[in-house]
Formats: sequence, structure tokens, C-alpha cells
Amino acid sequence: MTVKIVTDSLGDISSDVARELGITIIPLNVLFGEGIYRDGVDLTTEQFYQKLLKSKALPTTQIASLGVFVQSYDKLAEESDEILVIANSRKISASHEAMVQAVEKMKRPCRVEVIDSQWAVMAQGLIVIAAAKAAKKGVGIDELMALTKKNIPRADIRMAFDSLTYLEEGGRIGKARAFLGSRLKVTPILGIREGEIFPFSREHSRARAIDHLYYFATSFSHIDEMAVEDATTPKEADALAKRLKSQFPKTNIYRTMVSPVIGAHVGPRVLGVAVLGDRG
Amino acid sequence: MAPTKSINGQDLQEMFAAATSWLEKSSADIDALNVFPVPDGDTGTNMLLTMRSTVEESQLATDHGVSSVAKAMAKGALVGARGNSGVILSQIFSGLSQALDGKDDITGKELADALTKASSVAYAGLSNPVEGTILTVMREAAEAAQAHAATVSDDVVSVVEATVNAAKESVAKTPTLLPVLKEAGVVDAGGQGLYTILEGSLHYLKGEMEQLKLRRPWMVASSIPLTAKSPQMVGVEEVPYGYCTNFVIKGEGLNPDKLRKRLEKRGQSVIVVGDDSVVRVHIHALDPGDVMSYVGPLGTLHQINIRNMDEQYRDFIEMQKERMPAVEVAIVAVVVGEGLANVFTSLGATFIVPGGQTMNPSTKDLLQAVDVVASEKVIILPNNKNIVLTASQVQSLTKKTIEVVPTTTIPQGVAALLAFDYEADMETNAQSMNKAKAAVKSVEVTRAVRSTRLGGLDIKKRQAIGFLDGDLVAVGDKPDAVVQDVLARVKLDEVEVITIYYGDDTTSAEAEEVGATLDKQHSQLQVEVVQGGQPHYNYIVSVE
Repeated sequence: MTVKIVTDSLGDISSDVARELGITIIPLNVLFGEGIYRDGVDLTTEQFYQKLLKSKALPTTQIASLGVFVQSYDKLAEESDEILVIANSRKISASHEAMVQAVEKMKRPCRVEVIDSQWAVMAQGLIVIAAAKAAKKGVGIDELMALTKKNIPRADIRMAFDSLTYLEEGGRIGKARAFLGSRLKVTPILGIREGEIFPFSREHSRARAIDHLYYFATSFSHIDEMAVEDATTPKEADALAKRLKSQFPKTNIYRTMVSPVIGAHVGPRVLGVAVLGDRG
Repeated sequence: MAPTKSINGQDLQEMFAAATSWLEKSSADIDALNVFPVPDGDTGTNMLLTMRSTVEESQLATDHGVSSVAKAMAKGALVGARGNSGVILSQIFSGLSQALDGKDDITGKELADALTKASSVAYAGLSNPVEGTILTVMREAAEAAQAHAATVSDDVVSVVEATVNAAKESVAKTPTLLPVLKEAGVVDAGGQGLYTILEGSLHYLKGEMEQLKLRRPWMVASSIPLTAKSPQMVGVEEVPYGYCTNFVIKGEGLNPDKLRKRLEKRGQSVIVVGDDSVVRVHIHALDPGDVMSYVGPLGTLHQINIRNMDEQYRDFIEMQKERMPAVEVAIVAVVVGEGLANVFTSLGATFIVPGGQTMNPSTKDLLQAVDVVASEKVIILPNNKNIVLTASQVQSLTKKTIEVVPTTTIPQGVAALLAFDYEADMETNAQSMNKAKAAVKSVEVTRAVRSTRLGGLDIKKRQAIGFLDGDLVAVGDKPDAVVQDVLARVKLDEVEVITIYYGDDTTSAEAEEVGATLDKQHSQLQVEVVQGGQPHYNYIVSVE
């Protein structure tokens, strides 16, 4: 009996990968005015950005109701008596909190462990993927927890932003506030440090920002997993993935897109590289 | 006059005070000795301000011994140093003070030794000493002093006389050592300044008070005369000092124009408006009492308001200190122009010291900024070749840890600032900032302040001249065309980003036009046009 792996849609794992590895993704919601859409279920990334272009007000986001988490857990508890939940950084969203609370409301008896990944987007996604691969091989929950905790400091991510407006409006700007208000057109490169959004660098052109992402990935001496994700610029992301593939021919590179909920906070033209691996 | 075997500390102090007054008479002429006909970091003004600080501090010496006076002078020169020549001058005073340590008075031989030490300290202070500059003048003057003291006479006055004569010859020779001087038909400004200081000292030692008062310093001529000498003065903006004095005079038969002329001798920033019965006056004066007693007899005085600007400035600094957020590594940048200052601030510079090409901040100005910021580690971006050396003096005056990233242009400063990594430590940041600075090319376009011939180009006064990384490469009537001309020398097909900062005498429409043309010619370019608001420079362009 394999351990079930659960995460939220903030990890940006594509539905294909989730299906293949048996990962349960609990979607958050995107709100455009009256309309509520489940992340990646009722609304694809492409549809989201089309709506964003037409929408007068910025979309808002919310986590799923507690009931949705409880239902998901209970459904999985029918198939397994061990569930490992890997959450988005609790410093970034309330998802972790709901995931913990939902455990107490479960109807079925089952061991559920919730771990704060301290990451978001594909940095979170890669940690979940690594756990799911191990779970599929039959690794028990204690070992999976140890593996996940070991992987947390091995993950990292950089994202090039077109604009910081969405992060600011959504109240997630954090320390990246330092990069607001630039009088020059610069491309901010943000990442996550100690569970929080962190301003790493600014590049004076898009091309240099992409170089920055490339050199970020090549600063790793060993890579378990890698992901390249985009919002509205798939060709650019494909080219970057191709460039990275020639540098790391043996590494499988996940090509994903930011989920609509992430999209609401990062805006269009975001491009990111996530790595699970070791540096020098 | 009887031989002067030795001089004491008071002589030394008064001698340099007299030399400072002597220098003041020709500081504007020295300013005009620029190699490039650009509104430049004025050497004469910089040396004068450095000397003033030197002399002021010397009055605070603990006793009249040569040793303490020389020490106080060295300190005054260090904190007051402005521009490269000011910094070298401060090294000279540092050398003098080291050689004169422990002495109550000095003989001609001891003075010659001190001048020799001053010369070696000045050379040692520069990573790349250039001949044909103030350094050569100092060295040759010191050599002459040594030779004279050893073989002719130990008399102080005669040693100084030999020193002055050698300095004069050395200044005249500078164009033969430095090709840029030869081409521009000028002598080295810093060398001329040093010669003037030595000459003023000699006048004092000889007791030639009438000379000091009535004559003007001799400007050494180059072997090649200037093609068309037209001394151009550029106003040096100063941090406000003294008293901001405002009042109204009511009376009969008042003459505002005449009053303005009279007041201009008593202070700066003089504004006089009104008619023959009521006149409003604004003046920045060091001695407001002098102003008041002058205007008193003209009528009745009203609405008198006198504020201490030093205090205002200190209050401003204090206020800035409170508003400053604590960051681990602070960045102090020297920038002039509101737009450019905003660019630097928006990119994370912690403190802006106003200054640049026509306005070199002193070591003290930079030191104040370093003290004000809440961080213990400070990176300084001088953004001008004439400020780099000043910035490098700051470390010796503060307990904070300083890194100077020697940016010599605004584009280099911006590139360095962008490379700042919030996560990295100061050393790593200094390295990556240095690397980023090297990757950018800088184009600067200004108006020639005089006619000259340089770099094979005939330049007429007021023509636009263009520099590529400090080298004069283009001249023309229109700044826009000159920008294009300079940019044509860069392989633009390999360039990604061009940022155009336009100055306060350029319209945004003109600048946008330059940007649009570049955009059209090179599709891969990201062109950005930003209001820099810098004085004198129509365009500063960053090419990355």
C-alpha cells in the first residue's frame, strides 16, 4: 500500500505529471468579480491570462474551503492509511494552515502528516515530485518525511518578473519591496528565501534576465530535478529549457506553466527555473 | 633682508595662509586650464577649498611648534580634499607632517627633507602616478630644494626660492611630458596650483606683503600657446554655508542695481528686487553683521530674518539619518541632477551626495554621508574620475568598513548599482559591481567651453563634443547628431540596452527623437529615454 502524496495547486505541477505520479492536487480558487474558478480545474493558465487582459479589476485568490481538504483526505484514506501532505510555504499562503486543520476533521482513521515545504511554485513542485517518485517505489511515510525534510534546503528557484505590481497588489511583495519604484526598466529576479519572497537581482534587459536564470541553474553541481515554467511566453521558456538541456543532458526538465492562482500574484511574462539539487 | 635660518610653527601657519590668499587670486585662471573644454571639476577651486580647510585646521593646533601645526594642516587637508589635485595636495601635507614630526622649528635643510618626503608620499598615494602633473612639479621642486640646501645655503628663504623657481620650470615643462596638455596647449592645472602655493609662501617669507596684496600670481605659459584662450568660469555649487540673510529696506532714492553690485562682494546668491523706496534683499553671507551695517545707513530695515545654514544643513542630515532604513550594506552615490538622483535612489542607493563634473565633493562631504547611513558597511560610487581618489580617502577617517567601486561615469554607477545583490556580502558585491561597471560603455555629450584642437578635432566654443568612455571622439553643432556620431563608433548590433539620460538643457522631445532613431536602426535594441536633469551635459548614454 503506497503512501498518498497531497499538495496544493501553488506547486505548479501539471495535471499530466500529477496523474502519472499519483499526486493529489488540492486547487485554490481564483476570483474574477463574481466568478469563482478552481485553480487549473475550471480555468487553465491560458484562459486565466486571457481573462486577466479583459478584466478591469485585478483577480483575487482564496484557498479552498476546509471541507474540500477534508473530503480529499477522506477519499484518499479509502485507498491508503498513510497520507503525506506537502504544503506551500506558510509564510506565503494560508494553505498550510487549512491542511493542518483539515486533519482533525477527517471522518476516516488515517495517519496524515503535513510538512511546510517553505517553498512555492515549482520549487515546491519538485520536492513533491521527488516524494511521489519515492512513494511509488514503496517507501514508507517516515522515510518519505525524512527525504522531504532533507530536500527542502536542496530546492531553489529564481523567477524573472515583468512587473511587481501584481505581487504588490496581492500583498505578497515582502522584501521584494526594495525593487519597487525603479526609474529604469529593469527585470527583477526574485526567489524565495526562508519561506519568503526575496529580491535577488535586477537585470537591465530581458535577455540578461534569462541569462541570469540559466547561470542560476548551472551553479548547481548535481541536479535531481529541474523545472522551467512560464506564464505567457512558452517559446522563450522552451528555448531556455533547450539551452539547459544541452548543459544537463541527463536531467529531465519539467516544462510547466504557473497556475492561475500564482498568475494572479505574479502577472504575465513571468519566467522561472526551479532546481532540486546540490551546489559545489 | 637678513637671512632666515629657520621658521617656527606660526611662520608655517601664516605662510600657508598667505599662500592660500595668493592661490585664491588665480584659482579661476587655474580652473580654465582644463585639457578638455568641458565644464570640469575645477582644479583651482578644488585646490583653494582644500587649502582653506588646511589653514582653518592649522589654527586649531595645540601649540606653535612646527610639528603640531603641520599635523593639524595634514588633518585639515585630508578632510577638506576635493578633486584629484586636492587629494594629492593632502598627501603632500601628510608627507610634510610626517617629516616634521617632533620638530619645533625647521631649517632650510629640514624643509628640503620634508618636501622630499611630501613628494614620495604623494607618489605612493597613487596606484598609477602620471608624470607631467602636480606630482612631477612636487618632485622636481623638492629635488631643487635638496640640491640648494646641500650645496648653496641652509637659509629657509633661499631654499624656498630655489623650490619656487624649479616648480615654475617644471610647470612650463608639463606639456612635454603629457601629450594631452601639449595638444590642448595648456600647462597642468594642478602643477600650476602647487607652484602658486609655493610662490605665495615665498612672498610671505620675504615679507612682500605689498606684492601679496596688489599683484596677481604668475600663470606659467606652455611652450605651445593656447589656440584661443577664453577662460570659462563655471559656477561651483557649494553646500550652503554661513547665514541666509533676508530683509527689506525702506527709504528714499534707493538704487537696487547698485546695491546688488555692492552686496555681491559681501556674499553669495544675492537677490535684490524693488524700486527706489522699497528693496527686498536675500544674501548668503558669512558675516551678516557686515551686510547689515552696510545697508543700515540706506534707510530703515524691516522683516529681518537671519538663519544659520550650517545648522539647517546639519538638521537636514540628522533628519535623513532618522528616515534611513537599516540595511546591512549601504550605498553612497555621488550624483548631480534630480532625475539621475531619482534613478539612483529608486535602484537602492541609500544616500546621494550631490556632486559630479563641476562640483567635486570633499572627503568630508563623503565622510558625512558615510556617517549618516545606518549601516556599518558602506559602498561608495563616485561616478566621476575626479572623485574616485577623494572617495578612497574616506576609509582612513571612519571606523566603518568602506569599499569604493571606482565608477567614473553615471552609466557605470547605474550598472554597478543594478549588480548589487541583497543576499551577498560586501566583498562579493564589490566584485560583482566592479565586473558590471566594466561591461558598460559610457557616452557623454556636452558643449565646449572654449575653442581648441584635441584628438585631431577642431573644436569651436559652444560646439557639442562627444566622449566615449572618456575619450573625445566627436564634435558637431548639434548635440543630437554628436550622440549619434559617438554611438556609430560602437558595434550597436552587439548591444542589448541603451539608456539615454538627457540633461536640463535638453528637451524630452529631442531626447525621444534620438531614442526613436536608434530604435528604428537596430531592432534588437532596448532603448530607454530617462530625464536625468544633469547640468552641462546634454546627454549621458549608457551602452550595454
